[in-house]
Amino acid sequence: MKVLVPVKRVIDYNVKVRVKADGSGVDLANVKMSMNPFDEIAVEQAIRLKEAGQAEEIIAVSIGVKQNQETLRTALAMGADRAILIVASEDVHHDVEPLTVAKLLKAVVDEEAPGLVLCGKQAIDNDMNATGQMLAALLGWSQGTFASGLEIDGDNANVTREVDGGLQTIKVKMPAVVTVDLRLNEPRYASLPNIMKAKKKQLDEKTPEDYGVDASPRLEIVKTSEPEARKAGVIVKSVDELVEKLNEAGVI
Amino acid sequence: MLNPVDDALIEKLRAALPDGSLRPPEPRDLEEPRGKWHGQAGIVVSPRNTEQVAEVIRQAGQARVGVVPISGGTGLVAGQVATQGPPPILLSLDRMNAVRGVWPSENALVAEAGTILADVQLAADGENRLFPLSLASEGTCRIGGNLSTNAGGVQVLRYGNARDLCLGLEAVLPNGDVWHGLRRLRKDNTGYDLRNLLIGAEGTLGVITAASLRLFPRPTRVGTAMMVVPDPAAALDLLALAGAHLGPGVTAFELIGGQGLHFLADTGLPHRAPFADIPDWSVLIDVSAYGADDPNAALEALFAAALTAELSSDGIIAQSDGQAAGLWNIRENIPQANRLIGPIASHDIALPLSEIPGFIADMPDRLARLGDFRINCFGHLGDGNLHFNVFPVSGRSRADYPGASEAVTRMIHDRTHELGGSFSAEHGVGRAKVGDLQRYADPARLEAMRAVKAALDPAGIMNPGAVLG
Repeated sequence: MKVLVPVKRVIDYNVKVRVKADGSGVDLANVKMSMNPFDEIAVEQAIRLKEAGQAEEIIAVSIGVKQNQETLRTALAMGADRAILIVASEDVHHDVEPLTVAKLLKAVVDEEAPGLVLCGKQAIDNDMNATGQMLAALLGWSQGTFASGLEIDGDNANVTREVDGGLQTIKVKMPAVVTVDLRLNEPRYASLPNIMKAKKKQLDEKTPEDYGVDASPRLEIVKTSEPEARKAGVIVKSVDELVEKLNEAGVI
Repeated sequence: MLNPVDDALIEKLRAALPDGSLRPPEPRDLEEPRGKWHGQAGIVVSPRNTEQVAEVIRQAGQARVGVVPISGGTGLVAGQVATQGPPPILLSLDRMNAVRGVWPSENALVAEAGTILADVQLAADGENRLFPLSLASEGTCRIGGNLSTNAGGVQVLRYGNARDLCLGLEAVLPNGDVWHGLRRLRKDNTGYDLRNLLIGAEGTLGVITAASLRLFPRPTRVGTAMMVVPDPAAALDLLALAGAHLGPGVTAFELIGGQGLHFLADTGLPHRAPFADIPDWSVLIDVSAYGADDPNAALEALFAAALTAELSSDGIIAQSDGQAAGLWNIRENIPQANRLIGPIASHDIALPLSEIPGFIADMPDRLARLGDFRINCFGHLGDGNLHFNVFPVSGRSRADYPGASEAVTRMIHDRTHELGGSFSAEHGVGRAKVGDLQRYADPARLEAMRAVKAALDPAGIMNPGAVLG
């Protein structure tokens, strides 16, 4: 079985995000970019499936700017076998929309015929939480979302999901799209020897036109603004004063 | 002789300072992180401004009562706890925590002594600048204490220690005079350098109340890698290779002994093991890059060169800042693992770089004459600074080694001294190493230090018992 893992290049989650002065988006110039953490978990899970003998080949796909190569090299260094880069934008500030991504991924799936697509449940930059679901719908495949556990059982995948009040395990028929959650696994570090080997692995570069997909945006960003700054606290001297302050604030 | 804090002095202080400035000492005021020393104090005073600090010092001088300045209280050599003598005033700087100004174009920042180090870093970051002093306790320690102890940390290799990061000081001298020295100048050749006298004086020559600090352009990206090396000699060669490849781009170069990683695993402290098998020696490297430069590409090229030169066989490279934080978490949790295992003796030594491999290779055999031990050696290799800590063998505790602590420390410090090293690289002298200073310091220097102390603080009220004893 082939496993397809889409990976997105996003602003590093440890970077303090700054909004551009004109409010048109987040400033990404010379900012540390990394693989979307949920996608990293998906790559790790694919490697574990391969190590367990349940997958033969792992293909990492990234859609975005040319620099997404770095993200794919990370996936290759972790253990993906080959990579496909679809250059759909020339500007790092242009976020390719989930529907476009899903259409492109469908085209890749049609070409590669994987038995499983493992995606992150959402990208940490736009928090859309849409691509996996859209892809499953376009393919007409079953989907298991927010996986915190995954077992391949013959033609089925048992997907454990964190739901309110506990865990839910569902059985979905393969081929399937599974989107992964934080607690599924802890991704491995990319070793330096593997990074060197990854430079020799196959990385194909494509465009949306190659797949006949129109990548022009349908959504318009009206405004981006920073969250309101946290207000300074006050130190109270006694419980009475605390109660008084809470009353003033109208919270008790 | 000094007097203890008495009711008359407390009354005078109460009259001179705003309400709420005085409180009785609590247990936390009298402890130090290693739990080896216990302090005493008559009263805790928390002034809000420099003039109030000066008032406390003047009152203490008139009453001939000792003053122990306390900052974040994270020092490791008992400089912050008065263990002997009449109970002194504990002068807490915690309420003087304002960043008074940031001058990005000058790369300068002025902060009050009680500002938490992490807040200084944040204030610099807010102006797209770097304040590079960085150590494990940065969320608790305060800049006044960092300067008083001339703290080091993990970026000394590139940016120097606290002394190198200070442009000017405001301080209260032992006679109660306020020295207004908050200059933001890089060049100021106008006589004796009082600033450098107060830095590293550990509160024995006065109280630092504010500091003018050096900032740097903030690197746009920092790459972090951990490389396995065959031995400390190879680690030094790798450091030289890194210098040749990256020059000032190498901002940290930490040596990690395998014992520390075993301790992390044994104590169950949360960490992600970097390698399937724990290597005997590894190094943690930070490379800072500016503009569009890619630090990871630089680290990959360095590793390729190290591989060819047989200086490294394996390594990992952080693919995100989160992974970088994970790798640093390993390094910064080693001291905590050490505490949980329970050392017989801990050391903070500096050696000429070329002596380090020999010292590390030869010390275990020397120590074996004193008993069976485990050694955890790690530290800031780029600075020649080793934390060389000695532990009981597995299954035994330090109680099984009566009297060993002094003998082990003596042997390590003697050997360090023989090789031209220092018994205290970055922790200071405090009260824990007063005997070492007397034993190892150059006599002429010691005499000059005593003369300086007598001239500035003839009554000996400032941090009595610390540094010179």
